[in-house]
Amino acid sequence: MRRGKTLTLDAVTFSLPKGDTLAVVGESGAGKSTLIAVVLGMLKPVAGRIAWSGGPVSACRPALVMQEPRAAFNPVLPLRRSISEPLTARGASVPQERLARLCDGLELPQTLLDRRPGEVSIGQAQRAGILRALVAAPPLVLFDEPLSALDAVTQKHTARLIADLQREEGFAALIVTHDLGYAAAFSDEIAVLRKGRIEELSPTSDFVEAPRSEYGLALRDAAFALGALEKVA
Amino acid sequence: MRSVVVLVTVFILIAVAGPLVAPHDPTAINIPDRLSPPGAAWWLGTDALGRDILSRLLHGARWSLGLAFLISLIGLIIGTAVGLAAALGGKIADWVVMRVTDSFLAFPELVAAVVIAGILGGGVGSLILALGVTGWMRYARVARGIGLSLGTRGYVVQAKLAGMSTLSIARWHYLPSLLPSLTVVWTGMFARAILGISALGFLGFGVQPPTAEWGTMLLDARIHMRSTPLQMIWPGLAVVLCVLAINLAGDALRDALARREDQSSAETG
Amino acid sequence: MILSAAGVLLRAVVVLTGTAIATFALLWAGPGDPALAVAMARYDTVVPAEVIDQVRAEAGLDAGFWPAFWNWIGPLLSGDFGNSSVTGRPVWPDLVAAISYTVPLALLGLAIGLGISVPLAILAARAPGGWLDRFAVAIASLGAAIPAYWLGLLLILLFAVTLAWLPAMGARTPSHVILPALTLGLGVAASLTRIIRSGILEAREQAFLPAFRRRGVADRAIGRDHIAPHAAIPVITVIGLELAFLMEGAVMVEVIFSRPGLGSFLVNAIEARDFPKVQAVVILAALLFVVLNLLIDLLYRAIDPRIGGQGA
Repeated sequence: MRRGKTLTLDAVTFSLPKGDTLAVVGESGAGKSTLIAVVLGMLKPVAGRIAWSGGPVSACRPALVMQEPRAAFNPVLPLRRSISEPLTARGASVPQERLARLCDGLELPQTLLDRRPGEVSIGQAQRAGILRALVAAPPLVLFDEPLSALDAVTQKHTARLIADLQREEGFAALIVTHDLGYAAAFSDEIAVLRKGRIEELSPTSDFVEAPRSEYGLALRDAAFALGALEKVA
Repeated sequence: MRSVVVLVTVFILIAVAGPLVAPHDPTAINIPDRLSPPGAAWWLGTDALGRDILSRLLHGARWSLGLAFLISLIGLIIGTAVGLAAALGGKIADWVVMRVTDSFLAFPELVAAVVIAGILGGGVGSLILALGVTGWMRYARVARGIGLSLGTRGYVVQAKLAGMSTLSIARWHYLPSLLPSLTVVWTGMFARAILGISALGFLGFGVQPPTAEWGTMLLDARIHMRSTPLQMIWPGLAVVLCVLAINLAGDALRDALARREDQSSAETG
Repeated sequence: MILSAAGVLLRAVVVLTGTAIATFALLWAGPGDPALAVAMARYDTVVPAEVIDQVRAEAGLDAGFWPAFWNWIGPLLSGDFGNSSVTGRPVWPDLVAAISYTVPLALLGLAIGLGISVPLAILAARAPGGWLDRFAVAIASLGAAIPAYWLGLLLILLFAVTLAWLPAMGARTPSHVILPALTLGLGVAASLTRIIRSGILEAREQAFLPAFRRRGVADRAIGRDHIAPHAAIPVITVIGLELAFLMEGAVMVEVIFSRPGLGSFLVNAIEARDFPKVQAVVILAALLFVVLNLLIDLLYRAIDPRIGGQGA
């Protein structure tokens, strides 16, 4: 779908019910970032259709949590400004009560929001990124490798917070990750992406039990071997 | 570095407060004392009409520096707007805007300014117009270059996703990143504007007599080069010192920015 | 390659068309009635209204902007620059005469500039930070701050007034060109020294050079085969810009030294409001820059084949 001769994604088919989590797993170069760009409407698909409740995805104003927490924030502005953008852009102001509730949920002291991205930790910056994604209550949130910039302890903690918030808010989540352990623990369905093609799409529990594709099996076994995935009996 | 700051401060002070401390009226004609050498009464001497050269220099600073400030600011605003339009307006807008910019850049600026100021007739208004419309291209190129590199930054993607208007993205996410580099360009253009104003003044197309301005002072002094060569030295020296100080300040600013970039890339990389 | 060549040509056309329209619009919209200016310039007295109207009709000025523009640009495309509105004589011979004074001045200025800056920059870059280097940089900074008209006046004061070695005003003998050319050349030298020096330093820092040295390639050969081409690119760019500077400088220098040439031609034409002459100089200058930029572009491609690809 990039300009020029390389078609990096084809035959991707999936649907995502409200409140559910779909994890797209695959190694780097599998087309995960392209998938996100296409879903968000930043790249136009050459063929095929992406819809949300029958309309274009951008109409539901989806939000994105990025891989690099600090790069997602303007380095010279306080976090608060960037966080309120999804609301100020449509002329609304940030409901203080909601902000306080989300901050509580993300364990993010509100005073931190007056700092600039360089003045908070990576973990805090990522939670601020999640805060920005959720502040306007979007029905769909995309997570692009949301944990990979974080250290192991922060990863677990952040994953937990995302899951709790999703239960409260009820948004649909599309998580793109190379971390099968994370995907298995927090998703309802798993799509395996390889060279721009979906190899399989299974309910998460089925996938962990018995992947249907050869590549899915290889991925799962590698995760087992690394101890990243435990058998959910 | 410290001496540069001192020099620039001195010139700013002169431009702001110079007319207040000038010992004489810069346009007061005093024929009996015409072409006096420097002395107790006239510190730098008098010109052909007996006007005090020091007072004219001090008053002239306001024209030379003040107008140069205004002109370089006009260029900054036009150029930044043009550059951002190219960077944010898509491929076709970019192509058109940059071809126009290149065309302006290809033409010798001072020649264009001479033609414009000359045709429109001398005076401050046409001077500003002439140097303003010929002095925005460098800003545009810098603004566009940096602007294009900002397009893929995470926070710009996020702002677009949030549905922010192009104008507020330009204002909040592009402008702050452009300002340091644009400031460096601005120092260079400020110096060029000083040279341009005095050049047009020297050709008779700039600030009109009897207003004291460094270029017109040189033009007046030129005729009396043989009898009072010093009269010609002062305004030229004022221009040179001013331009030198501003250029050095610009160099220092650029070096400081380069160091800061190195540091920040060392921190994140 | 073909695409980028087409782009360059298109750009040339855009520049020329834009300059032509802009100049004409400026004269059209400038203060005062162009017909009155022409009539005044021609008859040098207060002219009755019917004469002005007659002039207006003759010059095609009564038909509106675009017809008047076509009246001017049509003959121009076939090489006819029109007649002076003051003398009524064709512009072209006067213009050629002016060029014949400016070109030697500009070339000599460029030669002096190169003659000073190239050795100075090479010597300075030999020991970066050394006294010679600092001297060269200081001279270059100073040179960039000295306006040509003041430098010219200082040279006149020193060599013509005080020492009486050289003539200053006019262009009667060949030695009259020395001071104007020196004024131009010193300005060129100041900016070129800086650029050539940093060009050499950058080329020397390129990663491939230590590898050559390890392989035992002689210093002289490295300088000739590898540093020189790398330093040449910025130098060519700057000479391109320098030509703009030469044109600007020539305007000022010719006025200071009361020397005939394009600069004096332009300034006199503006003062006399002789619009056909002003237009001729502007169009000629634009044409000159378009051609020079084309040549520079071609030179780039000859030195560094990669540039052709980038331009596409």
